[in-house]
Amino acid sequence: MKTLRRYSFPYLIWMILFVLVPTLFLVVLAFSDLSLYRLSAFSIRFDNFAIFQESYIITALSNSLIYAFVVTILSFLIGYPVAFYLTTLSEKTKKILIALLILPLWTNMLVRITAWERIFSPNSIFTDIFNVSIPILGTQAAVVIGLLALYLPFMVFPIFSVLDKLDPKMIEASKDLGANDTQTFIKVIFPLSLGGVVSGFIMTFLPSLTAFALPETLGWRRVPMIGMEIQKKFIIEGFQAFSINQGALISILIMLFSIASFILITRVDKEGETLI
Amino acid sequence: MINSRLMKKKSRQGAGLLLTILLFAFLYLPIIIIFIISINNSTRGYRFEGLTLKWYSELLFNFKTPSSDLVIFREAIFNTIWVALRSTIIATVLGTIFAIGINALDKKRRVRMMVLNNIPVVNPDIVTGISLMVVFTLISFSLGETTVLIAHVFFSIPYVVLSVVPKLKRLDPNMYEAALDLGCSRLCAIWKVIIPNISTGIIGGALIAFTMSIDDFVISYFTSGIDFENVSIWLYTKMKNPQNLNPTLYAYNVLIILITIGVILFISLKRDRKEKQK
Amino acid sequence: MKKRLIVLNHVKKSFGDLTVLDDFNLYINENEFITLLGPSGCGKTTCLRLIGGFESPDEGTIEFDGKVINDLEPNEREINTCFQKYALFPHLNVYNNVAFGLKIKKVPKAEIEERVMQTLKLVKLEDYASRSISTLSGGQQQRVAIARAIINRPKVLLLDEPLGALDLKLRQEMQYELKEMQRQLGITFVYVTHDQEEALTMSDVIVIMNEGKILQIGSPEDIYNEPKNRFVANFIGESNIFEGKMIDDYWVHFCGRDFKCVDKGFEEFEEVDVVIRPEDFDFVPPSKAKIVGRVDSLIFRGVHYEINVIVDGHEYTIHTTKYREIGDKVGLAVEPANIHIMKKEASK
Repeated sequence: MKTLRRYSFPYLIWMILFVLVPTLFLVVLAFSDLSLYRLSAFSIRFDNFAIFQESYIITALSNSLIYAFVVTILSFLIGYPVAFYLTTLSEKTKKILIALLILPLWTNMLVRITAWERIFSPNSIFTDIFNVSIPILGTQAAVVIGLLALYLPFMVFPIFSVLDKLDPKMIEASKDLGANDTQTFIKVIFPLSLGGVVSGFIMTFLPSLTAFALPETLGWRRVPMIGMEIQKKFIIEGFQAFSINQGALISILIMLFSIASFILITRVDKEGETLI
Repeated sequence: MINSRLMKKKSRQGAGLLLTILLFAFLYLPIIIIFIISINNSTRGYRFEGLTLKWYSELLFNFKTPSSDLVIFREAIFNTIWVALRSTIIATVLGTIFAIGINALDKKRRVRMMVLNNIPVVNPDIVTGISLMVVFTLISFSLGETTVLIAHVFFSIPYVVLSVVPKLKRLDPNMYEAALDLGCSRLCAIWKVIIPNISTGIIGGALIAFTMSIDDFVISYFTSGIDFENVSIWLYTKMKNPQNLNPTLYAYNVLIILITIGVILFISLKRDRKEKQK
Repeated sequence: MKKRLIVLNHVKKSFGDLTVLDDFNLYINENEFITLLGPSGCGKTTCLRLIGGFESPDEGTIEFDGKVINDLEPNEREINTCFQKYALFPHLNVYNNVAFGLKIKKVPKAEIEERVMQTLKLVKLEDYASRSISTLSGGQQQRVAIARAIINRPKVLLLDEPLGALDLKLRQEMQYELKEMQRQLGITFVYVTHDQEEALTMSDVIVIMNEGKILQIGSPEDIYNEPKNRFVANFIGESNIFEGKMIDDYWVHFCGRDFKCVDKGFEEFEEVDVVIRPEDFDFVPPSKAKIVGRVDSLIFRGVHYEINVIVDGHEYTIHTTKYREIGDKVGLAVEPANIHIMKKEASK
């Protein structure tokens, strides 16, 4: 078996090339005047930090943090009870419902966003069929609801898979030892499902934080988010002086959230195998 | 006593059921809208104007007089599927090999490799996209189809690894040695004994890789440059004016769902039958 | 003299900081049923894996049939293994599991079929050829594992606790069958177990190991009757072990009395361990007995009673078919030949 170890080595090289190298390079970009497209001698400078004083960046950043937080909390409040309810069903129903939960994810995310655009439009096809009108396009509510619709399943899956693996005898043991339902939940079930909750939080928080196509479409660009700014810095204004350097700096900030998430996830998921 | 216990349980179950129904309704609402637009007799899809299948026939069969839009869209579909097929095959082969290697490591190293493996899974797509874009630019690889393909292989491998490693862990480690003992070389032992016993993990990983690749937008967007368009990138450029979106797009999406359901049903039925034979 | 088939010379093996075997020397004769016996973690499985080629030694050599085989891959050795928990291939049926080795060697199809059926017959599974592995009982899986190994006609069969997962009755049945098979096939069996009864029943030679060292090698009778030290005596069967002193040749003093024995050659007043097997005590009328005590406890063990007798504060364990009440005054006798004297271990 040990002779097979060597097959993991190329993967290490591959990951260093595509994860470590770009991260280091982004750091260099963020703290220097180096141009991504014309590599040359560069000098370290901290001028890029000035963007954090620009009001559009501050607004975008605070919007993103608030929405991502709200979406994550809402996902948890809805997702946890649903995941719990799913575990109480028969094996067959469970399988079918989980498949049905995955099914919407097979449609293109952008197409789903355009569908929400129709739903939130005044005089929409949605109104024609269901006789209800929700004309909230261009508002914060539209953005938050859209994000929730995209990422809620990612809260349900990890919590469900952890809860489903719980030994039912553990719950019986807890009751046997005198705990009532609420105590059993607080003292036994919830702590044991914490790994799933943490993955769920991360898998909804990080994508919500960095969304850009969704706020562009459902927020009509009236609701700026940080993903839109990063995208602008790298693609639309990519050839302007220092634009990519500023983008790199914002990316590094986002990466800090990723790293924090990582530290959290390795704390609760010691084997690193319960992500999906 | 028993009755009150039952009542409590029932009411809790009722609340769970209600919330679950609401969640499904919420998640399926856009899917229903997508489906309706695909069979709606209106070009712009904002009003309901009666049922039709013309968008499907337009997408699938109109090769004589396609609009220029449809030609570009079809090219984007072709690009999407062609990249997905290749990246899935490459990622599945590499991911399986890497998973076999990772599984053979001692515990400390294995956990470290799994953490490394999970970086692209946890990292927001935008960070992964930018990182890859930076690497490609750094090694002066001009952005285009090849870079998108490499990017898709990159983000697919971790899912294959995550889906194969648990299957490997469940194998009796002596099984590989038993194959060696009975005269197999290393590669023969992997091929004849390990692979057949982790095939469900490999197929599962390949399915995830394929659907991730087909639906990917953000990473493709950052690694494609200007010459290459898949469905998502094509759609994104049109989303600035959503009223111009043609219902053939929605027909395409419904078809993708149906095909995916078909493939999954086929695989799970086959597996069920196999299990019954045992 | 028998031919030495496998020789381990000064073998050392460590995993990380843990040295499992150090300066390990052992030879295995042709056509022998040899058992490596010891508690878990004593290095017996590592020794087996070294012979099988799944590990390679850090130092020393392993010879097979006069040639050093350190660098040979497992598939290049004329040795097959019957693994703990069997390691059967779940994706193949019984027939294809057994045929696996022959197929790899590209043996003609007709010959494969003949040999598979012949081997299945030997392990009494001829009707199970097309069955899936998962439908077999533990005992049947065990037989498939053996069939899969012996069909390749190895010179040596390594067995790593092959009966560990079976229940008692099945285990005893399989012990006889394995022994019988070894006689019929005429190949060397190297057997690893921590079950002393199993080792005593089946082996020609037993190697007792602890902490990577060989404590004693000998026939089951030798090991049982003449354990070399306290560990071996304790590990092989239940024993009464007393601290004693040699007074003279053939005279030993323990538990406050002098006893005649059959050992000699110790120094005067050398401290020794005295071993008496529980079944070697006889009850005699207290008036005629050298040892007199009271029954302290009694457990019914099926074939015999296990009786604890307290004699002057020393506890004696006795296996006997005779019944005595708790509190009875009893006399005990023991034959001089059943008093085994062992040298004290230096450290412990």
